[in-house]
Amino acid sequence: MQFILPKEWKGPAALIVSMAMLAVVFTFLNPRFGSLENFRNILFQVAVPLIIIVGTTLIIQLGSIDLSVQGIMGAAGMAWILLSANTRLETDYGLWAWVVAIGIGLALGLLAGALHALIKVPSFVVTLGTWYIGLGIGIILYGDAMLPSLKSNVLMAWPTKLSFGLPNAFWLAVVILAAGILLSRYTHFGRSVLAIGNSETIASNTGMPVNTIKMIAFTLAGGLSAIAGILATMQLGSGSPDLGSGQLFTVIPAAVIGGTALSGGEGGIMRSAVGVFLLIMLNNGLVLAGVNPSYQSGVFGAILIAAIVAVARPDRGILKIAK
Amino acid sequence: MEMKKNITKARRRFGATIVAGVAFACMASTAMAAEFKKEDWVLVASVINTTNPYMISNIEGAKAMSKKLGIPLEIVNSNNSSQTEISSILAVLASGKKPIMFVNTVASSDAPTIVDAVGKAGGFVTIWWNKPADYHPADVGDHFVAFQKHPGVSSGRCGAKAIGDALGGKGGVVMLPGVQDSTTSQTRVAGFAAEIKENYPNIKVLDSRPSNWDPQLGAKNARDLIVKFGSDINGVWAADDGMQIGAMQAFENAGLLDKVKFASDGLYPTTLEDIKSGRGGNAIVGETFHRGYMASSVGLYTAYLAASGKMKPSEQTLDKRESLFKLSCLTPANYKEYLKYDEADAPAKFIDQLEKTGPWAAEPMPLVGGGAEEMPK
Repeated sequence: MQFILPKEWKGPAALIVSMAMLAVVFTFLNPRFGSLENFRNILFQVAVPLIIIVGTTLIIQLGSIDLSVQGIMGAAGMAWILLSANTRLETDYGLWAWVVAIGIGLALGLLAGALHALIKVPSFVVTLGTWYIGLGIGIILYGDAMLPSLKSNVLMAWPTKLSFGLPNAFWLAVVILAAGILLSRYTHFGRSVLAIGNSETIASNTGMPVNTIKMIAFTLAGGLSAIAGILATMQLGSGSPDLGSGQLFTVIPAAVIGGTALSGGEGGIMRSAVGVFLLIMLNNGLVLAGVNPSYQSGVFGAILIAAIVAVARPDRGILKIAK
Repeated sequence: MEMKKNITKARRRFGATIVAGVAFACMASTAMAAEFKKEDWVLVASVINTTNPYMISNIEGAKAMSKKLGIPLEIVNSNNSSQTEISSILAVLASGKKPIMFVNTVASSDAPTIVDAVGKAGGFVTIWWNKPADYHPADVGDHFVAFQKHPGVSSGRCGAKAIGDALGGKGGVVMLPGVQDSTTSQTRVAGFAAEIKENYPNIKVLDSRPSNWDPQLGAKNARDLIVKFGSDINGVWAADDGMQIGAMQAFENAGLLDKVKFASDGLYPTTLEDIKSGRGGNAIVGETFHRGYMASSVGLYTAYLAASGKMKPSEQTLDKRESLFKLSCLTPANYKEYLKYDEADAPAKFIDQLEKTGPWAAEPMPLVGGGAEEMPK
């Protein structure tokens, strides 16, 4: 296969092969794993991390990192549910709920991007800050009143509802993923992101507006985390500031597994997306295979390492240094 | 004869010493009570986070207690982290006032550090829910006034009975425990499993997936279990309502809500609404009734009695130092009896009752046992 496929596809193709092998094993352990129902279940579960990973990948390609995902999800999810028809407040601002919630994400993203690009604060620190600001906004909005639940059955059912046989949540993710891939591959912005990740000094010397590109990338990532927060809120039917809990440690490993190096300048959105599928499928498969919960984390880690070693072996140049 | 006189004298002297001793102790305790100046003290309520409805209720109880006693209140929000909890408590202790404290510990292992710090600050503390198994108030000292909780085993048994009866003693159930190594989750799980095993032999536990008290994870695991077992699932038991809320949403999305019965612990406001409205064809069949404000006010009041000298912890029986308080099983048939405890003035009323009955006899959560919780075999 390595000879047939173009070089840039080797990584994801090998990952897909290892995923297919895992799928065969899981189906053998429990035939329901391979059912259409479970296929839809997995697609439903990958939707939220797939949306986030578009932003995460852009930021990692820049050579930076975005830790604010969970905070922004909490803030945007809470803002959205409180402005939509819910069990706590007699309000329903319809589309404005989306505008405000996504606006919060964009604003926090822009704040992080500006501080990082203009004042040169490391992205790790600045996004840690915006994570907590987001979480704080979520907690304040949550207050000490009743847990807000969605009133509209249409909104609650939307993510699971099928269109062309697949859940809407997944279609939303596909649209965002496709837009992300187009942006990353076929625009000046996308190529600049990789160039900055490769060498910021060279990029800046060639007259590239490095700071602007960085700020746009962080703003986009913030907006995407906000959309993910809204979708997760819809999926749960209720609002919670801790809604994003655990997502950060799905998306960052998924990006790295997909071949996006943390040092920047490498990888792509499609590869990261394959990483997300691998992680979600592995978790789902272990539950369906009936692995004892006490061993699940350990088995998860072991299979993950095995899969990555097998996949990355031919890809890794002997002289390349891994960090 | 002479010897007898001497013995009598000695006895009298001994008696007098005892009388004097008792009198002195009484005086000392009166003096202590008299010395209790409100302005030297501060009430402290430490909660795991401020978003869980149970924790919000903990805070409500502490506020009502502060109003009743006329002592200011400090709330510590641990933000789900033991580190934040301990450092925030130490910061409050450094303020110079002596603490009367209620702590809903993030992890069992936090208890000794907190108790020790409170002791050094001249305060008194009651710990709720989590402490190391071999760490006992009676061994530590009067500043560790008491450890209090509701029995987790009873909670699990309530849920098992409700689901077992609703299914007519037959069917398949799945379990969603909380954080796997939490004592609260473990005791609830043990109670559920024991009740099913003892009284519902035709109910099969299909699977158990720890969901970390997290609604999202509860929903995710429920979705995976639906794929795995499909219509073989007749009942779902979750160790708390947060996870049940997530699981119910997953079953609703799969169009199965009206075919499955649910039972859990905590009776969150949303859950109560679902019981009232009969969501999913009366999907919820069992809950437990206990309220956060009751726990925090009982905890603070016990510590207050010790601080004000009205009660000496070391003179109390074991069940008053390591206490198990009654947990009521709630069903759609009897939930109305408990609505009065959710009215706006309920915390204040409960505290009025505490003042009359003391911390160990207030309805609906009188003391029912003490010592370590016995796990079913």
